[in-house]
Amino acid sequence: MIRFYFFLSLLALIAVPEKTLAHGANIEYRQTAAITIEAKYDDGTPMANAQVVVYAPSDRATPWLKGTTDESGNFTFVPDTKPENIGDWDVKVRQSGHGDITSIPLSEGENVADTQLASGGRGYTSAQKAIMAAAGIWGFIGTALYFSRSKSSKLD
Amino acid sequence: MHIPDGFLSPSVCITGYALTGGVTWYCLRQIERDRNIQANIPKASLLTAAFFVASLINIPIPPTSIHLIFNGLMGALLGYYAFLAILIGLFFQAVMFQHGGMSTLGVNAIIIGSPSIAAYHLFQQRGRLGSNKPVLTTILSFVSGAGALLLSAAMFAILLVTNISPDMDVNAERTAILISLSGYSIQAVIEGVFTVMLISFLEKVKPELLKS
Repeated sequence: MIRFYFFLSLLALIAVPEKTLAHGANIEYRQTAAITIEAKYDDGTPMANAQVVVYAPSDRATPWLKGTTDESGNFTFVPDTKPENIGDWDVKVRQSGHGDITSIPLSEGENVADTQLASGGRGYTSAQKAIMAAAGIWGFIGTALYFSRSKSSKLD
Repeated sequence: MHIPDGFLSPSVCITGYALTGGVTWYCLRQIERDRNIQANIPKASLLTAAFFVASLINIPIPPTSIHLIFNGLMGALLGYYAFLAILIGLFFQAVMFQHGGMSTLGVNAIIIGSPSIAAYHLFQQRGRLGSNKPVLTTILSFVSGAGALLLSAAMFAILLVTNISPDMDVNAERTAILISLSGYSIQAVIEGVFTVMLISFLEKVKPELLKS
């Protein structure tokens, strides 16, 4: 029953490479782009502590990164910007037999500080769901009515 | 309890489809011998509608949430029609709500559908042991409803535990699956009680529905 809405946002994060000197400290910084996913069950409950596996475009068979989501279903990772890793990053989230896989397109020069929001795109609103369910039910009821019509009502 | 696309290897999915094909053929052959097909199809169709919407209702039981299946109830009321009804219901759930998946339709039909046939045979013991004993009817309907669900949950857990992708943390995922089994045992009690209520209601209102 479980589908997820994945929200992808590109955030500006500050990465701090460590560099220890004998008697002084020196801090270098650079800005990179990170991807945050938010995994939810389709009733809106966050998938807490679910397993996440990230696959890079250069090698889709071996996991590039493994981790778990936090209490509110969020998981953040910093994709590397090697030229061979430009393309679709696959992120798989899974918990006790429920889960989904989503593709995150990453193009060159996208490590700017703007935030994008994207979702898996398969989410229906509850009104849409209700209409679809009603249509399905009506189909089954129609079948029942067709087969239960009395013999005298046939035209032959 | 529906396994989504991408969780099982292609060989498992194909095996699931092959088994479902075989069981469907067997059920159709049994239905062909039924003298009262015209009267039973509407019943099957209405219960398919109930099965189809029941899965949209979530009941949160931490750490996961469950949704009602009613496969035991369908087996007790429909007999061999139940497997076909469940197969059709699962197809529409997968197509309309991505609940389950097309590649795993065969596997899901075996997981959810085959216990309903077991429930049917169990419930048929009522005719042999005496259908006028209300206590016996209550016990048989509870065991049909709850047992079919537990059987499904066991098959679901075994399939998933033996098919955890090596990319995952196998131990953590196995623990999560075993914890979810506790949720299914609560669900089994809920469905068992519901089956008892519905069957005792039908017995008072329309007892001919229970004879098949």
